[in-house]
Amino acid sequence: MTSVAAERPSSRRSALRPAAGKASAATPSVAERVQRDEGRTPTAEVRQALPLVTVRGLQVAYGETTVLDGVDLDLFPGEMVALLGASGSGKSTLMRSLTGFAPIAAGSVRVAGHDVTNLVRGELRTLRSEVGQVFQQFNLIPRLSVMTNVLTGALHGAGPINLAGGFSSAHRRRALELLDRVGIAHKASAPARSLSGGQQQRVAIARALMQQPKVILADEPVASLDPKLAGSVLELLREIATQDGIPVLVSLHVLPLALAHSDRIVGLRHGEMLVSGMTSRLDAAALSPLYNDEEQDDDDDH
Amino acid sequence: MTTTTEPRTDRSTRPGLDVAERARLESAFRVPRTRFLIGLPIAVLLLIWSFNGAQFNFVKLGEGAINMGEFLSRLFPPDFSKIGTILALLLETFQMAVVGTVLGAVLSLIVAFGATSTLAPKWLYYPTRWVMNIIRSVPDLVFALMFVSAVGLGPFAGILAMTLGSIGSIGKIFAEAMEQVDRGPVVAMEAVGASKRQVIQYGVLPQAAPLLTSYTLLLFEGNVRGATILGLVGAGGIGLELTTAMRMYDYGHLSAIIICIIVLVTAIDQGSALIRRRIT
Repeated sequence: MTSVAAERPSSRRSALRPAAGKASAATPSVAERVQRDEGRTPTAEVRQALPLVTVRGLQVAYGETTVLDGVDLDLFPGEMVALLGASGSGKSTLMRSLTGFAPIAAGSVRVAGHDVTNLVRGELRTLRSEVGQVFQQFNLIPRLSVMTNVLTGALHGAGPINLAGGFSSAHRRRALELLDRVGIAHKASAPARSLSGGQQQRVAIARALMQQPKVILADEPVASLDPKLAGSVLELLREIATQDGIPVLVSLHVLPLALAHSDRIVGLRHGEMLVSGMTSRLDAAALSPLYNDEEQDDDDDH
Repeated sequence: MTTTTEPRTDRSTRPGLDVAERARLESAFRVPRTRFLIGLPIAVLLLIWSFNGAQFNFVKLGEGAINMGEFLSRLFPPDFSKIGTILALLLETFQMAVVGTVLGAVLSLIVAFGATSTLAPKWLYYPTRWVMNIIRSVPDLVFALMFVSAVGLGPFAGILAMTLGSIGSIGKIFAEAMEQVDRGPVVAMEAVGASKRQVIQYGVLPQAAPLLTSYTLLLFEGNVRGATILGLVGAGGIGLELTTAMRMYDYGHLSAIIICIIVLVTAIDQGSALIRRRIT
């Protein structure tokens, strides 16, 4: 599977519809995989495409503590995958390992054509520039304008001297288009800190889109928002996944949100993959093992 | 459990509150902690010991009050006959402070990057901190003497002394301002694949900017006052005139100089307070 991912053309747009050209070469392995685990791929259309993220047998350890143990994950173009699990189950670590922020002890991680376990010099920054990230605390630069915050998404590959006013007008046009898309264009000149939480997260999403990402990772993007805003932000992410054909991996700890706003759910518990399947075939009962080990622990103690 | 949204807590591992500790926290009257009972006398002893060592004497202060009054009375009335000289020198002092502050702030910022633990590698961080400590320990007057012997009498030597001195003081404060920025934007900039310079430019500096500006204004105020002292060793500014007036027992002139300095320092203080309000 890793070799197939490596053949994937590196240009961004061609990644969206590689199926036609690559079908003959890819068909055996894809079919094989679908047979093995049908639950992993949501639609026939997506099944034809090659995964942009391929994780096999991933182990991550900080010192003696093993945080992830044997995780497999594929992300296909255009799908929104919810990553579920209790606190400390390894959701954030899995996200971090995809962009080289976590120490990978074993296994293979391929993201957008990069072998994350074996990056050559300078490749790390290129990889990160191709992966859009959205954070729980939005992580905008509070005193800079909304517009500048979006523009920072294009920092990689910007000229050697690039003072705050130095982005090209093409960049600026695109930043404004993205702000239109996320519905915050009227605030373009306002300092980021003056926006509400939901608005800030939309700006952060525009910043991620400014990177022209091949993959979007959202680590608890709605944990700081109220339920209504949470739904609208998740819908925005799902819309981006569908329209742009970008896989979106979003970690959540609220079950109903995951069931309502994802194509596929991957559940982690104690660093191991416990659940993986299409959202439409899962319900709260099927996902409860992700959280209910707590009672068992208590019973053991008393 | 199916719809529970609250984060999981490890009830099994949560330690209970000790019974004695619970009683202590509930009680309205608190017996002071042992560390407080021991610490208080030590602090008082340290204070008394220091007063003695510094030869602080209330009786002498009372006796001296009369002499002090006499000295102050000699300062009146101020003699503004040489106001032209005073204003010219005051202007020079101001200009020295402007140049010294700009050079000092720029150099301090550059050095501060090396002294910021979150940005600099260890091999750079520790030497930079040591150098800063050494510079801070040496009085500005000593630097002024050094530069006077190097480039001769005049404001240039004073400016150099100010610039070097500010690296020790303001450089350390700059570094601490940059260490205290919120990590979030820094992480975000690393995540978009920004270079180290870009991370500093977008993730660190915009967040630290209000503090950096505020400290630079403080440095400027300090440099205006400092420039009056540097004149003592002939490093330009109004200090030399001040010393001369003192030596010549020209108290009218002396008080005129002091009044002018007070006016300038107050004006600068008000001005920088205004700027500080705007930026924060």
